Amino acid sequence: MDPKMDGGFLQPGETLEDNYDTLKALLPEEVLGIMDQLLCHEMAWHTGNPLSQTLFTSVYIDKILWPEPKTLEQAQFYRGEVSDSRRPDLLLEVLRAYCLALIKCCDFVIAKVTSRDYFEEEDFCTHTYNRVLFVQVPIDVFLRELDVAVESLQDPDLSISADLCEAIITRLEFRKHFLTALDLDCPLEHLDRYWPPISSHLSSINSTYHLGKPVPGSFSTKIQRRLASTVPPRPIVELDFKDAFSKLQQLCLDCEEGTRFTHLSPDPLEYQSFLWAFASRTPTPLPYARSYLANILFHPNTLNTSTTLPLTDLQCLIFTCSPVLDPQNWALSPPLNPLLPKPLRHQLALIIDEFIERTGQNYLELWTALGQNRSRLRRMLNHVILGWDQLQVDANTLDEEIMAVVKEMQVQEQVLVYPLTTWVYHKKLWMIEKIVMLGFEQDIYLPDEFAGMYGFLERVARRRVDLLSNIYAHYEEQEKQYLRAKPPKLEMAAEVEGAARYIESLLAEATGVCELSGALFRFYTVLLYLRLLPTPNRPFSTPELRYELRMKPFLTLSPPEVPPFEEHHEQLHGFGPYDNPEPSLLLALQNPISELWKGIEDGIKRAKDSFSQLKKLGPKAAKVEGVDKAWGKEVQGALASCIALGVAVVGIKTAVKECDENGKVAVKVEIPEMGSGKRYAEGWVVGKVVKE
Amino acid sequence: MDNAEASFYLSQFIGKNLRIHTSDNRIFGGQMKCTDKDRNIILGLTYEYRSPPEAVIRQSIEASGNPSAPVSWNSRYVGLVVVPGTHVRKIEFEESAFGKGGVVL
Repeated sequence: MDPKMDGGFLQPGETLEDNYDTLKALLPEEVLGIMDQLLCHEMAWHTGNPLSQTLFTSVYIDKILWPEPKTLEQAQFYRGEVSDSRRPDLLLEVLRAYCLALIKCCDFVIAKVTSRDYFEEEDFCTHTYNRVLFVQVPIDVFLRELDVAVESLQDPDLSISADLCEAIITRLEFRKHFLTALDLDCPLEHLDRYWPPISSHLSSINSTYHLGKPVPGSFSTKIQRRLASTVPPRPIVELDFKDAFSKLQQLCLDCEEGTRFTHLSPDPLEYQSFLWAFASRTPTPLPYARSYLANILFHPNTLNTSTTLPLTDLQCLIFTCSPVLDPQNWALSPPLNPLLPKPLRHQLALIIDEFIERTGQNYLELWTALGQNRSRLRRMLNHVILGWDQLQVDANTLDEEIMAVVKEMQVQEQVLVYPLTTWVYHKKLWMIEKIVMLGFEQDIYLPDEFAGMYGFLERVARRRVDLLSNIYAHYEEQEKQYLRAKPPKLEMAAEVEGAARYIESLLAEATGVCELSGALFRFYTVLLYLRLLPTPNRPFSTPELRYELRMKPFLTLSPPEVPPFEEHHEQLHGFGPYDNPEPSLLLALQNPISELWKGIEDGIKRAKDSFSQLKKLGPKAAKVEGVDKAWGKEVQGALASCIALGVAVVGIKTAVKECDENGKVAVKVEIPEMGSGKRYAEGWVVGKVVKE
Repeated sequence: MDNAEASFYLSQFIGKNLRIHTSDNRIFGGQMKCTDKDRNIILGLTYEYRSPPEAVIRQSIEASGNPSAPVSWNSRYVGLVVVPGTHVRKIEFEESAFGKGGVVL
């Protein structure tokens, strides 16, 4: 028998039971120490470790939970009868109250995480090994236990030093507020009240940590043998108090940030930017904080609005003040005689209803993906775009019908050509851009692939720019029409103008992305020619296969976004092969006003202008009012990346002028690493030129 | 018993509940899935039972004063397990309330 394979195997002389006595009286500093140890284990669990290696290694927790107590009175550090002399003293009762509340906290956390999309054992381990964490016991019972514990400590006759007593009370109070905040039935409108009181206790927990005295003996790996698991006992996960505390702080901050969601104006685009900003937070939010936000997002009160969320989105982007979404359309009913044609407006309402119903699932998928961690978000988006691609086909069919109806109604000029397709296509392109940007952010691509990927990003963003320009022109025209009408329809004109601001903001952003990625693409191509980027030896692959691999998520899309390999290859090799470039390359490089350099510099300038315009239009136009700070930082990062690229270009230019006759330059390019804080924006990787 | 007979004999137990006593004084109760020539046995839906340590037995006898005081065994669910043939001490076949379930012993 092998102890590595067999959880129940005992070494000779080893006993199954731990001989730690849970009824032994503890010193106050020991109680404090155990509380902090438990907190460390709780946070270790929050970061993804199983309960069996964290909280369930505590002998105290084990005694409370096993054998399973039928009532809360049975949930003691002993079972059955004990003599009066052995009865737990006051401090043990305090510890028991803390443990009970802690267990209930775990129960709430599991319930919340499992209620939304999560990945077992990847994000979080919800397994309780057949232990029941007081699922049936209501929260007020635990709050009462904590209150009693606090009261008993406030007894003036107590012979415990004041700081220790205070420190224990702080922990009990913290646990009380934490438990209340984790409660599943908190009303949505008051969510933001629950987190600030917790934060107020955190600093004093940190400052009194040194008073405690850990009791390592009260944790044991042996308990795992009695859990319903075939896995042999694994070591206890030790998380430092410092790390655990920062995790706890982060958890509270993220949840508090999440509660701000309830104050957003009910606009799906605001929601979307909020979700995006939340997922971009560093350090990345813990699984619980993500489920917390997802629970608010998918709460019936959030989703049940008078107009469905996809419809609001559609209206904002395409159909502001459009006859297609006129509320009157929905007031009409079909004729009693089924042979008569339906009224035109009614037909429009039916088409839109059908479309909105069809989008629901895709919309939900997108939001679910946005609620995941960054790495999974990138992978999930790859799947989500396939759904949207299918949706685009369906939208196309419905668009034909809409166009036919509006033609008959003679309001053609008031409706954008192919409206639904435009909307779906725009969303899809936005997602593709994000996938590529996330790839850069997560260092998926190697430096010698940067040029190709930024080239692809430019291509996609260019399409989005074209699409948005169409919508913008349409809105401009609409606005003029309303102003020209007699009498002028000022209200409608104003509304269209508001929508046009949003399009303008999107347009500025898309142009910025397009121009900056274009400039980066050209810049990195130059670096490839100058042999300044590390190119790994790849004996088992060809450029063609690698290209296919990178483009795999987008290959099936229609209209096709991925250029054929030959075109891609040609784009990257404007001056022939890298090891044997055409002589014109050196001339172009050494001439500071050549087409090559001008292309890059003009691109940077246009990108800078667009991002500045985006900044000037402000968070309201971009519909990011809920997360204006994070958004401002993102735009600022993009602007800084433009400037950094400008500097790098100058560096290369000077170096090329001073190069030797073989075209060897005396500089090297440093690629800033991911997450090191050296990138101005994680998605914009700008190499830094340093003298050798 | 020739090969065919032995195969027939063993295959009757597939899916039946067995209790296997092992050399370290544990008992595994579960559904037999398969076995091999080395007497390794795979059990499904298995529970592990372990006799209480001597100290506990002595304690409960002293406490109750009854030399045949009942002491409960520890059990836990372990699911699908392989019991190595060298450690098998005794195999018991669990008869159900409805008889031997067609097994010819």
